[in-house]
Amino acid sequence: MSGPFHLTPLAEIRPGMVLSDVVRDGKGNVLLAHGVVLTESMLASLARHGIDMLPIVQAEPAPPPLDPVAVQGRLDHIFRKHDRDDLGDWATGILRRYVEDYRLQREVSQ
Amino acid sequence: MNRLTPEQLAAGVQDLPSLPAVVMELLSSIEQEDIDISVLAKKVSYDQALTAKTLRLANSSTYGLQVKVTTIQQAITFLGFQTTRNLITAAAITGCFPSGRCAGFHDKGFWRHSIATAACARALARRMRFNQDIAFTAGLLHDIGRLVLVTGHPDAYTQVVAWHAQHGGDWQDAEQAILGIDHVDAGVALADHWNFSSTMRQAIAYHHAPDVHGAGFLAAIVHVANAIVHALDLAGEDDELVPRVSSVAWDAMVLNEEAYLHLFRETELQFGEMSTILMA
Repeated sequence: MSGPFHLTPLAEIRPGMVLSDVVRDGKGNVLLAHGVVLTESMLASLARHGIDMLPIVQAEPAPPPLDPVAVQGRLDHIFRKHDRDDLGDWATGILRRYVEDYRLQREVSQ
Repeated sequence: MNRLTPEQLAAGVQDLPSLPAVVMELLSSIEQEDIDISVLAKKVSYDQALTAKTLRLANSSTYGLQVKVTTIQQAITFLGFQTTRNLITAAAITGCFPSGRCAGFHDKGFWRHSIATAACARALARRMRFNQDIAFTAGLLHDIGRLVLVTGHPDAYTQVVAWHAQHGGDWQDAEQAILGIDHVDAGVALADHWNFSSTMRQAIAYHHAPDVHGAGFLAAIVHVANAIVHALDLAGEDDELVPRVSSVAWDAMVLNEEAYLHLFRETELQFGEMSTILMA
């Protein structure tokens, strides 16, 4: 086991979260190793095994609250060579939008 | 004048610190399947520092092993030969260049960027069903030419750093302006000297120009991984800059936004863990 963890109900677990300990079924067989980054399919499979709680690695001391203005400012600096109006440079534009969504934790519509 | 002739570049490459012989053997055989694993495992075990670092990597959560491996042979049994070879290479290369030789060149930032690009290229390759181990090593080595220049010509490179600070832009422009050659040339020279496989050489040669006919898919993976890592701001450099992303390379990845957001997260997690081990 490593670092602080939080026993989290399966329903609240999202893909990308990290297991802090090994997960076993009722017979003691290892289902997943500690440190595994959980995926959608693993979560579905765990639900089928009747598992309803998992030890999830807790983000080390809660990250400071997001300052959207500072984050956007830093991103604009990193992307200073990119011109949003340059449609020929659309690939950089898409990367920029994705990284903004990621850093600013925007909801992503599918 | 600091122009470097091809002869001077070649001489600089000759003077580089050499990798352990077994690592050279691993690098040149990266696409071969038929080499004698037990002999290699034994040779690596003679190098204790290399073995220790490799085992720490093998036991990191990136590889999700359920038991701790304690020997190279065990690592090969559980992770496979390709992956273990990959880890040995990473452990050896990150330790073989001297640091602090060139004023203004941030060795730590360089390695942070390289390790993050390796992690990202590996994660991208998995989604593309491309060989993850080759992608990891290519990501780790894509900018190795910069170290060749810094190590072989530290004074001249100090001027490159100064030019870059004044003019901004890509490192390639600064290197060309001062030295007349750039880190891609130097990387290719090293790839030849160290006998890298041709796939690896191509990836180093074309990671800034993946649109060139014949550049290959690995160059496209490394190109996109490089841009993502710049965008994620993982190297810790104040003047971090995202280069223009090739639309051809981006198109070749055919991933949607959700897939990219997972990729960003995975890259950050694995980078955190690997950089702690490799830069110890």
